[in-house]
Amino acid sequence: MIPTRNDRITTSQTAVIIINFILGAGILTLPRISVEKAKTPDVWISVLIGGLLAMFTGIIIVKLSQRFPDKTFFEYSQEIAGEWVGRILSLLIICYFCLTSSLQVRSMAEVTTFYLLEKTPTWAIVMVFLWVALYLVVGGINCLARMLEIILPITVLFFLVVSLMSIKIFEIDHLRPVLGLGWKPVFDGIKPTALAYTGFEIMMILVVYMRQPNKAVKAVVVGISASLIFYLITVVMVIGAFSIDGVVTRTWPTIDLIRSFEITGLLFERFESLLLVLWIMQIFSTFTLAYYSAALGLAQLLKKNIEPFLFGLLPVIYIITMTPKEINGVFALGDFVGNASIFLFGILPLLLLIISRLKVGKHEAKSSS
Amino acid sequence: MESIAPFTDDYLSNLNLIRQEIGQNADVHIREFSFGQTAIRASIIFVDGLSDRDLIDNTILKTLMNDSVAVMVQENSSGDVSGSKEFFINHVLSIHEILECRDVYDLRTKVLTGFTALLIEGAANALLLNTVKVKTRNIDEPVSESLVRGPRVGFTETLSENTALLRRHGENGDLLFLKFQVGERAKKELIIAYMKEIANPALVEEVKNRITKIKIDHVPESGYVEQFIEDNYLSPFPQVQSTERPDRVISALLEGRVAILLDGTPFALIVPVTFSMLLQSPEDYYERWIPSTFIRLLRFFTAFASLLIPALYISFISFHQGLIPTELAISIIGTRQGVPFPALLEALIMEVSIEIMREAGLRLPKPIGPAIGIVGGLIIGQAAVQAGIVSPIMVIVVAVTAISSFAIPSYNLGISLRLIRFLVMFSAAMFGLYGVILFFLLLTSHLVKLKSFGVPYVTPAVPYRLSDWKDFMVRMPLMMMKRRPKMLHTKEPTRKG
Repeated sequence: MIPTRNDRITTSQTAVIIINFILGAGILTLPRISVEKAKTPDVWISVLIGGLLAMFTGIIIVKLSQRFPDKTFFEYSQEIAGEWVGRILSLLIICYFCLTSSLQVRSMAEVTTFYLLEKTPTWAIVMVFLWVALYLVVGGINCLARMLEIILPITVLFFLVVSLMSIKIFEIDHLRPVLGLGWKPVFDGIKPTALAYTGFEIMMILVVYMRQPNKAVKAVVVGISASLIFYLITVVMVIGAFSIDGVVTRTWPTIDLIRSFEITGLLFERFESLLLVLWIMQIFSTFTLAYYSAALGLAQLLKKNIEPFLFGLLPVIYIITMTPKEINGVFALGDFVGNASIFLFGILPLLLLIISRLKVGKHEAKSSS
Repeated sequence: MESIAPFTDDYLSNLNLIRQEIGQNADVHIREFSFGQTAIRASIIFVDGLSDRDLIDNTILKTLMNDSVAVMVQENSSGDVSGSKEFFINHVLSIHEILECRDVYDLRTKVLTGFTALLIEGAANALLLNTVKVKTRNIDEPVSESLVRGPRVGFTETLSENTALLRRHGENGDLLFLKFQVGERAKKELIIAYMKEIANPALVEEVKNRITKIKIDHVPESGYVEQFIEDNYLSPFPQVQSTERPDRVISALLEGRVAILLDGTPFALIVPVTFSMLLQSPEDYYERWIPSTFIRLLRFFTAFASLLIPALYISFISFHQGLIPTELAISIIGTRQGVPFPALLEALIMEVSIEIMREAGLRLPKPIGPAIGIVGGLIIGQAAVQAGIVSPIMVIVVAVTAISSFAIPSYNLGISLRLIRFLVMFSAAMFGLYGVILFFLLLTSHLVKLKSFGVPYVTPAVPYRLSDWKDFMVRMPLMMMKRRPKMLHTKEPTRKG
């Protein structure tokens, strides 16, 4: 049985899903990753350009999906590229979703062990997280969308409040001079920042479930722009507080930013606990989405019901999550997944779009002759 | 299966049939008499206490035993009484409802609900006269939902009285009452009320469907109905709203919801229900919008507080002392010195004892109940602190939590949140703040999956619909609430005026 499509989602829900999927682990590491590569305070320009690039790619994916209004990527890829190539591509994307979801859980577990639960074993942290996610995901895409809609406003509100409080230690000089090193380092920073926007690829699956698929482009643009604003605030605040030398030495610069100031007189003098709470919720949403997409992909590939795949994927994700030995292994895995996503979501959709256009052109030529 | 015995032409055999069927009951009275001075025999059968004796004595017996009636009967039917039934119904008996019954089974069910059966010699069928005496109590202010401002009217145990209360809300031809019977062995009347121009027909159909599917011997209270028609019986959250207030029912009906009233209970049910409805009170609309909004926000806060405060305390004390301000941490640790238990056990001792006190306060007679609760709480709290079993901060935490849970307007939601609070405490004891977040996510996942009659439980929070948000956390001025809730898919989306 093919998963039911009766429970459709609204345009705003789609945008919310995109934002949630983009804002995963990136928000904690983006300042460091981008500065490591670019070595310039101008990375915020890279963030801007990366966002525009992501938007462009997202629109391509939407255009591709809109050509097959009642199919997800896992189904229409077979139609475009032939049965076997399509299957292999789908399988690659399923693997990608599995890897990202594992990556999200693992970085969540790392941060939680580091800041909240020093003695609790990682497997315990990961396992309860996976169970809660399974409980949600069994409810289907509509429940998922509602959940994300609840999580997002909480995250946005508190994140903005917390990061605005760090204005005390913000120094504009850390960001100046603008373009002091020229454009080259800015371009160096584009790759890591653009990767932080991966998440829009969910549109390969989502367009089918939209109540108004013709508004998918709008959802992508809104979703990526909102994430762009988030990333801009984060990068500017973190670099403004620590300067680029300070950012590179910190593993999780965003948390350290919140840790580095105290506001006396409030109930909590330190706000990193609040940030961690929000961030765990954010990871939860990213994870459940990736997890659901992977299971959906398998289900549609084998034309079966989705539930057994949801249960079956859980141990697989657990094993992948526990595979990296230490934090650098996690980051290496992250790099690998990032590079894979450039091919899978940057180049592949464009190719498929061109092929499908050509095919239609051929058909039309045939039918007209 | 009962064999249906139809009445024959023979008066005496009919009477015997009735005697066999219900005559052995102590409260069933059979009174035999003759029409005036004629020899035409007749008898009435009624149940003591259910039927109105005044009506039987002064209207039925007095008329029938009067000579003039006997003369009229004889003149009219020239001795043949069998054709006189129409005459009786049309000219003699001044009773507002008269039914005919052909078999003793039918007669039994009606007589046992308060009808009086009239059996006349020579007539094949018995007449059933509606002499049901409705005993009602006075209309009081609802006990479970008292308001500072609002009508002091609550439902009673009488169905007809309750429907009348609803009718009295204003002249409205839309209001429709559909009658159903529930209970297989003891049948009870149940009424589905809705506005026929507003309510979504699919919703009404669904309610009817679920009502007719109730298969149980007896339905003593609307709580039974609630448990049969709710969507998910495994959920800790109430999925049907019960209320004693007619004004609340009426405003729900005008929004496009459906109400269910059961005979014998003052609690009406409203479906579908959403989480935010359980945190609202009719008073929100009677007061001006600014204070109402403030109170609503306060209630959302109390819901969170009653759920999370002890869990947060446990996680901060046992896992993350570093995250609270140093001075506060030192003073808390100072007060906890000498307390031999871990924070979880400390919290459990206090939470469980306050739950016991609450429960005991309910059972005690009204005048001493609250006093015992408060005094007991103070004394036990004070003594427990001095004995070093719990820390004073713990007492504060537990007290704030308890008060918060009592500030929730819906009694059954308060209970569920209290119950869930214990689960959060355990997960906080296991995983600290991380456990609290995960539990919150689990709970939200559950709420997100839950539906009440097809309406997601978390609406109007999500999906985002700005027009429904006017009546969510903020209660906008009344003149701005021109639309009915969109989630109900009503026939008429806008309110009049």
